Amino acid sequence: MSKLSFRARALDAAKPLPIYRSRDLPDLKDCVSINRAVPQMPTGMEKEEELEHHLQRAISAQQVFREKKENMVIPVPEAESNITYYDRLYKGELKVPKQLIHIQPLGLDNEQPDYDMDSEDETLLNRLNRKMEIKPLQFETMVDRLEKASANQLVSLPEAKLLLNEDDYLLKSVYDYWVRKRKNCRGPSLIPQIKQEKRDGSTNNDAYVAFRRRTEKMQTRKNRKNDEASYEKMLKLRREFSRTVTILEMIKRREKSKRELLHLTLEVVEKRYLLGDFTGEVLNEVTVPLAEKPVYTAPVTLTNGNRHKAELKTKTGLMHQVSIKDEFPFDCVRPKKKYSKRDKLYTQRRPGRPPSQYTVNKADIKQYDFHSSGEEDYTPPLSPPSEPDEENDPDGLFAFRRKAGCQYLSPHMDQNLGVLWEHPELAGMDALRHRHSLTALSLPSRLVGLGRRRMGRGGRVILDRASSGLDVVLKQLDPDAFASPVSRTRDINRLVAQRASMSSGVSSATAASSFAEILNNIQSLRWHCFRPRPAQHQVNEGSRMGKPSLDGRVTSSLLLNTKNNGSGGLSFTAGADNQQLVGKTSEIFFTSAQCAKCTLTSYGLHSLLQCSSTGTSRPPHSATLSHSGAGISGRVSSSGIGGPLLPTHSSSSLQSLPNHRNHVSAVSPAHHHHSAQPSAPSPSALKLATVATTLDHVPKVTPASTISNLARENHEPERLLNGISETTMAMEVT
Amino acid sequence: MADNVDVVEGCRLPVLRKNQENEDEWPLAEILSVKEIPGRKLYYVHYIDFNKRLDEWVTPDRLDMKKLQFPKKEAKTPTKNGLPGSRPSSPEREVVSAHSTAGYSSQTLTCCNSKLRFNGTARRLMASQPGRKRKANCGGTDEDSQDSSDGIPSAPRMTGSLVSDRSHDDIVTRMKNIDCIELGRHRLKPWYFSPYPQELTTLPVLYLCEFCLKYLKSLKCLQRHLTKCNLRHPPGNEIYRKGTISFFEIDGRKNKTYSQNLCLLAKCFLDHKTLYYDTDPFLFYVMTEYDSKGFHIVGYFSKEKESTEDYNVACILTLPPYQRRGYGKLLIEFSYELSKVEGKTGTPEKPLSDLGLLSYRSYWSQTILEILMDLKPDNGERPQITINEISEITSVKKEDVISTLQYLNLINYYKGQYILTLSEDIVDGHERAMQKRHLRIDPKCLHFTPKDWSKRGKW
Repeated sequence: MSKLSFRARALDAAKPLPIYRSRDLPDLKDCVSINRAVPQMPTGMEKEEELEHHLQRAISAQQVFREKKENMVIPVPEAESNITYYDRLYKGELKVPKQLIHIQPLGLDNEQPDYDMDSEDETLLNRLNRKMEIKPLQFETMVDRLEKASANQLVSLPEAKLLLNEDDYLLKSVYDYWVRKRKNCRGPSLIPQIKQEKRDGSTNNDAYVAFRRRTEKMQTRKNRKNDEASYEKMLKLRREFSRTVTILEMIKRREKSKRELLHLTLEVVEKRYLLGDFTGEVLNEVTVPLAEKPVYTAPVTLTNGNRHKAELKTKTGLMHQVSIKDEFPFDCVRPKKKYSKRDKLYTQRRPGRPPSQYTVNKADIKQYDFHSSGEEDYTPPLSPPSEPDEENDPDGLFAFRRKAGCQYLSPHMDQNLGVLWEHPELAGMDALRHRHSLTALSLPSRLVGLGRRRMGRGGRVILDRASSGLDVVLKQLDPDAFASPVSRTRDINRLVAQRASMSSGVSSATAASSFAEILNNIQSLRWHCFRPRPAQHQVNEGSRMGKPSLDGRVTSSLLLNTKNNGSGGLSFTAGADNQQLVGKTSEIFFTSAQCAKCTLTSYGLHSLLQCSSTGTSRPPHSATLSHSGAGISGRVSSSGIGGPLLPTHSSSSLQSLPNHRNHVSAVSPAHHHHSAQPSAPSPSALKLATVATTLDHVPKVTPASTISNLARENHEPERLLNGISETTMAMEVT
Repeated sequence: MADNVDVVEGCRLPVLRKNQENEDEWPLAEILSVKEIPGRKLYYVHYIDFNKRLDEWVTPDRLDMKKLQFPKKEAKTPTKNGLPGSRPSSPEREVVSAHSTAGYSSQTLTCCNSKLRFNGTARRLMASQPGRKRKANCGGTDEDSQDSSDGIPSAPRMTGSLVSDRSHDDIVTRMKNIDCIELGRHRLKPWYFSPYPQELTTLPVLYLCEFCLKYLKSLKCLQRHLTKCNLRHPPGNEIYRKGTISFFEIDGRKNKTYSQNLCLLAKCFLDHKTLYYDTDPFLFYVMTEYDSKGFHIVGYFSKEKESTEDYNVACILTLPPYQRRGYGKLLIEFSYELSKVEGKTGTPEKPLSDLGLLSYRSYWSQTILEILMDLKPDNGERPQITINEISEITSVKKEDVISTLQYLNLINYYKGQYILTLSEDIVDGHERAMQKRHLRIDPKCLHFTPKDWSKRGKW
């Protein structure tokens, strides 16, 4: 071999290569090794595997012998082809078609169950077949459906019933068997399946997870960035569309519910008409027990909404707490009502089956949303199908459970309550029971602050207390000062309920002093406090008070409603002899009122001031006006702004009301003078009252000008009013 | 004997195995795993320098305890997957320590060793690292951050069907997990790990439906399945038939279940195959042999619908019962016939396995030699041909043509130019080989219209 004295040119793939046989080249020995000129091509193998013994041996064998040698091949694990039962297993023969086989793109799925019965199942089947006929395919279909419905959680028996639609005995046996088998099953499903990836990336390195979706990154040729961006956009669009679909689904559901409600209402009206129930008595009898329910079921069904409400509560504080509790079915004032009503309907309509409803919904939502990357955390707020516990047992740990051996008595419907319900015209009164009022105890003679009475289990009286900014002041009050009135007054007299936020508006010492002053007034005027006591004694209550006694009740509810907050509510109960309203003081004279509602639209806030006075139908005696029969005379004189901090000044025209044993609605506004500031603007009296000629007539007055006057004159009340207007406020005068 | 000393993972010692002549040999092996079954211990051994497919569970009596070597201290291998006890002893490491007596740090030694071995072909060393190579090929345009350069374990690249590096190698995938697969008439012993549902890996036999390849846990289940499964051929269009041999084309997106089942089965015999991603971007060409029972799967190859790197084959496999009977070459031939119809040259995706390399080299050699031998001198001129021409005629990629010519040692430099010389033994060997090669693809029987997948949106 001659020494290479030149550099060989690179091998040119386009250059023709003459082909020689070795015999044609006697001087082939002169040929030069080309290793340097022609790059060694890689074998394409992993280099460490390239070194493996058997491969190297095979390669050298081939180099030497130019053909394979039997004992030089790469050894592999053995394979056998002697399955004797093959012909029995694969039955039938196939004649080869003349044409090439062309498969239809569709119609491959013949809806066969994926589950295949094993010998264990066969034993069960044989056992079952003694009682009834069940075919293997039927069994497989059942198990298949059960498996496929139990992606996350085992299907429950009721769900299985819906799913399978089989004979009860068969269903139960198969279901029980399936549950047992699944418990013992080592895999996640009885139908063995390839492990799926999880979107959180935890399975990125799991060797058993295969066939992951290629969604993380679009496969764009040459890395076209804009393609990728548009791909992302399309994904987003898709997600949003699927959300829209979900929302529309929900709207559809809502509208259906509405329609159903309408139909039901119509039916009710028709039925009432047929029954001749024009006064609503029958309806009330029927609906009252039902109305009890929703107050408590509402938190159950609206888990999410309720949480939201709870947050709201903490924000609005006491104001809110004191708010609506009275869900009298025909009181359609508050927007919140709507929800509970719907819930009511919902729970009544489908008492036993909310879970199945949810199943469907969840499936729907899922269905439209398979491609949402990164949306795993957005799980629909509906509870999963198989959590009947949560559905049926909202109180969880604190649920009431009956104890064996215990006797449970039905709750005392004391007369007080009974009266209310039997007389729907007392609608507002019902609410009274839920108001927080200033409360004092007689036995340990003590003022407890804001409280309300509730009837507990077994007729126990429970006093709910609420804290307010007034507590400090109240503590200083001498309970003895009103001890006697307390003991004497057996009636429920409501005093002042003060909102926390309001008193926060009343700041510093001046505030305190103003309040002290008010409270002094209260004391001097005798302060009637609510005191828990049996109601039957209320009849004989004489008014041994110096003041016109309030035997009857007058409820005047003031409702300030703004659009800022539709759902909140505050109730004020004002004592008979002093009405202390924070925003303004009103003297409300209602002589006889079935229901008088005065709607004010106050300065630009669209506040709604609603005064409703509820009383009995008996024509009361009134100093101011006396209309016999159905006449209502209301005069509200708002005396304007007292001071910057406590803007209440009532010029009171005292009404002495005759003492009535029965429920006479009367308000006797006390005369009190809160002239903490001499510079207080002279009260611009506001006459709100209008005369309603019929009992159910609702007068509406819009004293915008007056109030806006006030607002201009004083900023403080505006602030306070703003505070008020944050919530809906119901004010009641007893 | 084995009871006295604790043979743990990482130990090396000679282990008895039978060779092809059924003689006893004692190759050095590494213990990869130990399991205790009632009554005795079993050891999972990897024979150093042997392919993983020969790894097996052995009883203690096959261990030569006298020559036991304990694992070296330096085994501070980072556990890649955070799996406890996972010791990704890469073949690289084994090779190194097998050839180096002292326990040096592996990285440098690898280079030294390789250099020694390949006689200064550093360039070859570089090129034979497929992962690197791929990246280098893509050059600066490749902003695909699949290769985790920042150390964060990321998902593997989404193109292709083979793992380009062993970063996802761990003790789980190092070991075979299926004992035996029954498929039609055959019982197959898997060679490698395959991600069949984990609950099925403990079975002595995994049953597969011969036609839809569904996996079943028992013969009873298979029986039941066969009453419902009416397939007697792969669920695709038959695009070739000659004699009993047929090819079916299956779209990995349209027929996911079958494609996945096929991949799971194939993974049992393909070490580097990855099942990380779905089968959507692949077509599967399944070769079958017909008899009165139906079209029985013999082998298959998969192919990317769109390959950026001229791959015309992703994975290719002849099932073990049909191996060494010419079917593999038939599959390869078919893949090039498809490329011919497409008017492209192609090459199989890398890395090749040992058997893959041998098969392809054999096919390339025969194909090229066939052309060279058929060239007749015209007008007394010596016949000549360019590499490009060979590539165009055969659809074999230029690089593969050159490597084959080199491998056959046909290229010589003679009188100032490159020539191709056909030696006697090459010619004789070729003629003998071609006589044995009965199975051929007949292009006339191919009914195939290539689709332009780039125009079809996403696959």
